[in-house]
Amino acid sequence: MAFLEVEDLGRDFPGVRALNDVSLKLELGRVHVLAGENGAGKSTLVKLVTGAYRPSRGRILIDGQDVDQHPELHRYVAYVPQELNLFPNLSVAENLFLPYDRAKLGGATVNRREIERAAQEYLDRYAITAAPRDLVRDISVPEQQLLQIARASTNHDMKVLFLDEPTSSLTSTEIERVMTVIRGFRDSDHAIVFISHKIEEVLEIGDEYTVLRNGEKVADGLIAKIDEPGLIRAMSGAEIAIDQRFRPDPPPEGAPEEVILDVQGLSGHGFENVSFRLKRGEILGFAGLLGAGRSEVMQSIFGYMKATAGTVALNGKDFPLGDTSRSVKAGLLYLSEERKLHGILPQLSVRENIGISILDQITGRLGISRRQERSRVHDIIKAYDIKVASMSQQISNLSGGNQQKTIIGRAMATEPVVLIFDEPTKGIDVRTKAEIYRIMKSLAERGVGILLVSSEMEELRKCANRIVAMYSGRITGSFDTATTSNETLVGAMFGSEKTNAA
Amino acid sequence: MQRKSKLAFLRNQMMGVLIALLVIFAISAVMSPYFLTSYNMTVVARSLAFVGLITIGQSMLMILGELDLSLGVMAGLCGVVSGILMVNYGLNPWFAMFLSLCLGAALGCFNGLMVTSLQLHSLVLTIGTAGIFGGINLVLTKGVAITNIPKEVQFLGRGDFLGIPVPFVIMIVVLAVASWVILKTPFGRYIYAIGDNTPAARMLGIKVDRVRILVFTAAGTLAALAGLLMVTRLGTAQPSIGETWVLPPIAASVIGGVATTGGVGTPFGAILGAAIIGVIENIIVLFGVSPYWQGVVSGFIVVLAISFDSISRRYFRGNR
Repeated sequence: MAFLEVEDLGRDFPGVRALNDVSLKLELGRVHVLAGENGAGKSTLVKLVTGAYRPSRGRILIDGQDVDQHPELHRYVAYVPQELNLFPNLSVAENLFLPYDRAKLGGATVNRREIERAAQEYLDRYAITAAPRDLVRDISVPEQQLLQIARASTNHDMKVLFLDEPTSSLTSTEIERVMTVIRGFRDSDHAIVFISHKIEEVLEIGDEYTVLRNGEKVADGLIAKIDEPGLIRAMSGAEIAIDQRFRPDPPPEGAPEEVILDVQGLSGHGFENVSFRLKRGEILGFAGLLGAGRSEVMQSIFGYMKATAGTVALNGKDFPLGDTSRSVKAGLLYLSEERKLHGILPQLSVRENIGISILDQITGRLGISRRQERSRVHDIIKAYDIKVASMSQQISNLSGGNQQKTIIGRAMATEPVVLIFDEPTKGIDVRTKAEIYRIMKSLAERGVGILLVSSEMEELRKCANRIVAMYSGRITGSFDTATTSNETLVGAMFGSEKTNAA
Repeated sequence: MQRKSKLAFLRNQMMGVLIALLVIFAISAVMSPYFLTSYNMTVVARSLAFVGLITIGQSMLMILGELDLSLGVMAGLCGVVSGILMVNYGLNPWFAMFLSLCLGAALGCFNGLMVTSLQLHSLVLTIGTAGIFGGINLVLTKGVAITNIPKEVQFLGRGDFLGIPVPFVIMIVVLAVASWVILKTPFGRYIYAIGDNTPAARMLGIKVDRVRILVFTAAGTLAALAGLLMVTRLGTAQPSIGETWVLPPIAASVIGGVATTGGVGTPFGAILGAAIIGVIENIIVLFGVSPYWQGVVSGFIVVLAISFDSISRRYFRGNR
């Protein structure tokens, strides 16, 4: 019998039907994949089952009992959110076991040595190299992500574990560690709900699947009986060519080569002596491991971080660094990988979020023209296919993919000269990914210079004409995408210096 | 669609406060026959004007995500300095007032510069600068009021314009200008953006530090204006001016829908909040509540007001 059952579940928000008529059965010892595009209702479903929201319709049964009458049943459900949700100033051990009573540790007082010893067991099990007494803010992002999963498992009552994109900022070796952990849970008779946009992972780990689209269940079944195109079709409701290329076409033979951005000998916090040239019409990719210094290089070019040495020339003219407002005025824009931290203005509306970058175009003698702002924003919402109930909607109520499209649309409204995309498709579904690739391609072909930082080799190969590899703050190679093998690229990402065609 | 969303904006941000104010107004009018007399109304309006000017500055700082606890003592210091310049140095009173306004701007700017250049927390910094400004006030006056403020400027504090107290008219004009700036200009939009998410604002190329310094400067200037008006109202420059103007503007802003964490609210809402506090204080006096109990009652009502606001907000969650 199913341990957790969801029957005809629905939840409404003012003006939006976020989830409607969804039924689901979770059995112990199985991995259930919850698939769907951004905004399909996955997060809403998770929040209902974990008790963060109350359902508008339908019911949830755990162990045969209605959760609404027995809210204490929620203790069987653990949830690991996509965003890091730890206490940065507390130690690894404290993070693992808080609240202590849930972990059945300690009474009125807590013995630090005891919890550190207990913590070490968990750290070993998850192959986390950090020490129990390290502060969480000092350990790496992948370790933090693993720690979050480990923390969920310290709940002794846990029977059902929801993992929301547990691998979004991990590299392949770390992803393998997560997969091992998930298999461990499965084999010890837990039910796992796995949410991911990475189709290979889903197919590898899942037993059953449920696909949501626009808040409704559109498909379910056994993973063994579905393949990648089938799953994507179910999620998007359309056929998407997943191996399509989005590299801009090279300029015609004999056309003069124009360098838009020329970076020479740039050094700063976390990187050293970085030089490269971005040509008009191309997408230049940046490959590397987490912490290779790619984001730091980009943020220094943009002026958000300080550069200690080196020069940057924009369209042949020396470009002084260190002032974001000068960069924006010159058309040099940076779209951060940290959408929440560096991108959106969370409490403001979609209109204000987009309008903020075009204010000088829509301000007359009487101030900002609401009418012009509305019509410009309306055009952008349309052009980038941003799904909103109305432009007065608060941006934090949009799905991640739509927030990302809003930010891209906002950048486009300013007619950029150089655009830096830092992990533009992190946590974004397959269809929206393809849309973003298409936008990058058409921009490059219109003459906008594009730098693309990505941890996904696939993404770089699909989009970039050339790829620069970085390792530990230095450039280890520059490659022509079409003529370079994956092995060479990965080698450079791990520090072996090689170059074919500069 | 445009019409509907405008109404939604009103409903969510201001309507609650406005209704609360009207209800309190109605209750007061029913319970005390003196409340609605024109004399009492001018009393309420006049005292609202002084705190109101501080509230406008403070609310803009709060929307920006900052706070200035020295605005009250700044008002006192600027008032006292204008008195010294007029009376002790015999300066033209208008010129003296102009210099005090400049002093207010300079002190506000100083706070802003400290916050931006040293990346200090404005709350803590202004506890310190409030001590400095208040101390200078006492050094200059030795705690003694400066009397004989020239008659020609006293109408600013005491006079009426079409039956409305002049300070109130000035406050309304300032409110109109502040509302226009914050709602209709790019500069105002930047204030919201910075208060909502400072790193994102910097990423958007907004000159974050410049906006901050300017708003601190504006708030300082308004504090000086409030102090000056109080001097002309009293006819003497009391060193104690502004002592009670520190916390009520913050409470008023919160009641009026300004988030302490920044990014949300309007100066207009904050003034409505200040009006609620003003009316409550007035009615307490009219009812003859013992002065010893006045603090308890008005404090209790403030707690009630923000609790009501928080509960109603949760009720309409996700629908700003």
